[in-house]
Amino acid sequence: MAKEIGGYVKLQVKGGQANPSPPIGPALGSKGLNIMEFCKQFNARTQDKAGTILPVLITYYKDKSFEFVIKTPPAPILLLEAAKLKLGSAQPNLLKVGSVTWDQVRTIAETKMPDLNCFTVESAMKMVAGTARSMGITVTGAKPF
Amino acid sequence: MNYIELYLAVEPDFADILVAELAQIGFESFTEEPDGIRAYIPEPEFDDALLAQLLTRYAELTTLRYQTTRIEAQNWNETWEQSYEAINVADRCLVRASFHPPAGQEFEVDIVINPKMSFGTGHHETTALMLEHQLDLDLAGKRVLDVGSGTGILAIMAAKRGASLVRAFDIEEWAATNALENVALNDCAQVVSIRQGTLETEPPAEYDLVLANINRNILLADMAGYARFLAPGGQLLVSGFYETDLPDITQAAIVAGLRPGLVKTKNGWVAARFEK
Repeated sequence: MAKEIGGYVKLQVKGGQANPSPPIGPALGSKGLNIMEFCKQFNARTQDKAGTILPVLITYYKDKSFEFVIKTPPAPILLLEAAKLKLGSAQPNLLKVGSVTWDQVRTIAETKMPDLNCFTVESAMKMVAGTARSMGITVTGAKPF
Repeated sequence: MNYIELYLAVEPDFADILVAELAQIGFESFTEEPDGIRAYIPEPEFDDALLAQLLTRYAELTTLRYQTTRIEAQNWNETWEQSYEAINVADRCLVRASFHPPAGQEFEVDIVINPKMSFGTGHHETTALMLEHQLDLDLAGKRVLDVGSGTGILAIMAAKRGASLVRAFDIEEWAATNALENVALNDCAQVVSIRQGTLETEPPAEYDLVLANINRNILLADMAGYARFLAPGGQLLVSGFYETDLPDITQAAIVAGLRPGLVKTKNGWVAARFEK
């Protein structure tokens, strides 16, 4: 018999750095789940992305067991990594402080495709480029479309 | 540790952007809300001025509203810890909480752990595997170092198996405090000493057994350190990683001058033994 689902918890946590503090502690603890079990599993599964923000969707069951799916990092995180910026622009529309290439935008778009509502890489690239603009990051090189 | 919760009402287009920006100034984790996000940071790392500076910048682009709340440290795992099952390790050791009845005659070792939000109750595969390894070894009269001790469960096992001296430490203050309580519950305070700290602050000494159930990255970074604390012929037990990471761990151990030994696995998790 399939286990009965108790509900879902959605969080964004740094890879390899889950700990029982808020929000993980109260979110899982209040459901009677073993927080330490979640932290150990999440951290072991994300050692390759240590320090990067990762969305995680936890499904918990009435018997207090749980499982979880780790998604790709949000596009702004990938853009900051690609532009190697400590912070976004001080005045996003006036002063461009960082840049990424269209190739980097393509890589980010391809990474994000599984989690985006886009049918083509081009539409995903437009979405990522729009996010870059909002953060004050310039996209350089010839526009590929 | 106390935490600061930032509640930030913001348009959906800017939610992920602000998550990225907040992560850059020390916020650790986030939840999505219908009208924005909540972000969390340890209180000592919270910089009010830096946050104001960041949000002022984005206030020019979008409407946002925020407030911060202090969240007192507490045992968030208490509900689970009130009612879990005792664990049978290899039919030789029972790990239980003080609310369970004591282990029967069929068990060689009875360990009592009241975990209080620390790692190590025997439920996780890695803890159970480390305990099994310890049951395999002759620990009588041995000197043992437990790195990242959590509840102190592995240090307590070493003491119950006859070790003459056990030193243990954990980077988290609350875990060190919890381990002290568990050491007292198991009457092994004369053999086991616990402190808050790291490998870097551990005084140099030689041990017959070093225990480290942590994670792949820390094990890789600290492998040479573990080897330094081992007496010639001494053993290292490591866990906290998956089978896919075993080749990297083994390679690092060999580079540190250790010889690979018995490997135990359970549900994809590994506990591996190495010898100097």
